[in-house]
Amino acid sequence: MPDALRSEELGKTYPHGKEPALDGVSLRISAGTVYGLIGRNGAGKTTFVRICSTQLLPSSGQVEVLGFDAVTTPREVRARIAVIPQESRPLYFLTIDELVFYHLRMRGMDRRIARERTDLVLRQMGLADRANTLVSRLSGGLRRRAMVAMVFASDAELLFLDEPTTGLDPLARREVWAAIQKARHEGRTVLLTTHYLDEAEALSARLALIERGRVVVEGTPSEIRSRVKYPFRVSLPRSLSEAELAPYGEVSGVEGGWLVFAREDSARELTKLALEKNLAVAMAPISLEDIFLQLVGRPLTEGEALAEEEP
Amino acid sequence: MSVRHRLRSLWTIAYMNGVIPVRRQPLYLLNTIASPLSFLFFIALASRGTLLRPAIAGGMILTMISIGTSLQADLTHYKQDMKFQDLVVASPVEAPIYVAGLALSEFLYSIPGLSVFVALWVATGPLPGVFDAATVIGTLLLVWAFSSALGFTLATYFEDIRETFVFGPLVSLGLTVLPPVYYPATFIPAAYRPLAFLSPATYAADLLHRAFSLGALDPRFGPPLLAAPLDWLALIAVTAGLFLLAATKARWREP
Repeated sequence: MPDALRSEELGKTYPHGKEPALDGVSLRISAGTVYGLIGRNGAGKTTFVRICSTQLLPSSGQVEVLGFDAVTTPREVRARIAVIPQESRPLYFLTIDELVFYHLRMRGMDRRIARERTDLVLRQMGLADRANTLVSRLSGGLRRRAMVAMVFASDAELLFLDEPTTGLDPLARREVWAAIQKARHEGRTVLLTTHYLDEAEALSARLALIERGRVVVEGTPSEIRSRVKYPFRVSLPRSLSEAELAPYGEVSGVEGGWLVFAREDSARELTKLALEKNLAVAMAPISLEDIFLQLVGRPLTEGEALAEEEP
Repeated sequence: MSVRHRLRSLWTIAYMNGVIPVRRQPLYLLNTIASPLSFLFFIALASRGTLLRPAIAGGMILTMISIGTSLQADLTHYKQDMKFQDLVVASPVEAPIYVAGLALSEFLYSIPGLSVFVALWVATGPLPGVFDAATVIGTLLLVWAFSSALGFTLATYFEDIRETFVFGPLVSLGLTVLPPVYYPATFIPAAYRPLAFLSPATYAADLLHRAFSLGALDPRFGPPLLAAPLDWLALIAVTAGLFLLAATKARWREP
């Protein structure tokens, strides 16, 4: 499968930044796939998206999008991409229908085709019954969905979705997921940044975890799982001491108890021990959140704005 | 993008930003006419009507300059608050099309205001000839163009919408209130008159004062400051310079 996006040693240091927001990021994204970029706020996700979508110049490295150099031939790239910028808001004085339709017309689409695509995407995104509602009268979640609809209705080959489901309720998130999956079935490529690891895992063929502007780990979700030392998690109450648990694996204190990352045999042994002591215990394969914790040393949600990433 | 597609993009942006909001809230139209009419009102009243004609010309110019300051505010709002410009940058729409579309939308807003001034112009003096009308149209189009280029350049450097609240009135003050736009240049003491040439609006006002036959109607207003070709040359040069500035210094893709 050809690459839809390829970056080589991509770096970015903002003019007033002390640390690089991106530090040698090399990624390949195959055409027709969904690629998840995960990391904390300020890790460098948005900077990567902004460079690849020709909004920002890199300080070093190269990036090729759909076969075109994003730095020297931005016009070629822009004709083939669409983006939902992070924290973007739709034009509030338009209706949802106008927002999608005129976005397509602004991109140069023929009126008849724009009309057909608008009607279709509004149906698919569950927005048809609100098509004539002003954006200013919508909830935050619906506004976000309207933005997503706007981008999905376009004929872009590569979609950059920078945290498209932030602030959406679970049902709305699922509708956006369905739209992303549909885009993939249509053969389009999606670069998705998200805080929601379940979302990244459910949608992405491959993932990259970014921390402080560097790729910590990259691969398919199962490849990433296989790269961590402890593939199982056991949660236990505080009645056992940390010293008792330490031989089984890596122990972390969490609210109301302990979390032990362990190999399968150790996890089973520990579960058996806890059951013998009549303790509430749960053993499960690790989640992506746990992988993040193991690789980075702190949870995804801990701390904000790591590097010099500009909004 | 073909020329047809570019024109389609341009008109769509103008329609989205200039026609739809007005259709929903017609009071928006008052915004562009409020300041120019207020100045006209006070100047005409304080001068007991003698400065009405120069003030009409000033109102036309201020209306056009207001397009630049409104454009500056809209661009900053769409870039910083809505992140709409980021969406546009990463699309087939080119910077000149986006700016021209928004500038056209601001122009659409100003049409009712301009109509009022044109009506006052026709009603308060001899019926203007074709040449005078062409002079007024050409001058106002150039003012629209340079104020839009200036607005775009400034907007790309602003990081907060509040900065436009500061710079907008300053631009209006520097371009239209202090220079001889609402009043004849001959009212400025001769020693300070050259300072008026610092504002490009002075050349526009000089052309309009000529088209309005101010000197002929009232000898106190005196002759125009410069010969008409020099006014045109200066106005075209300023417009070209500001377009060059916009093309080279404005930040479409962030560095």
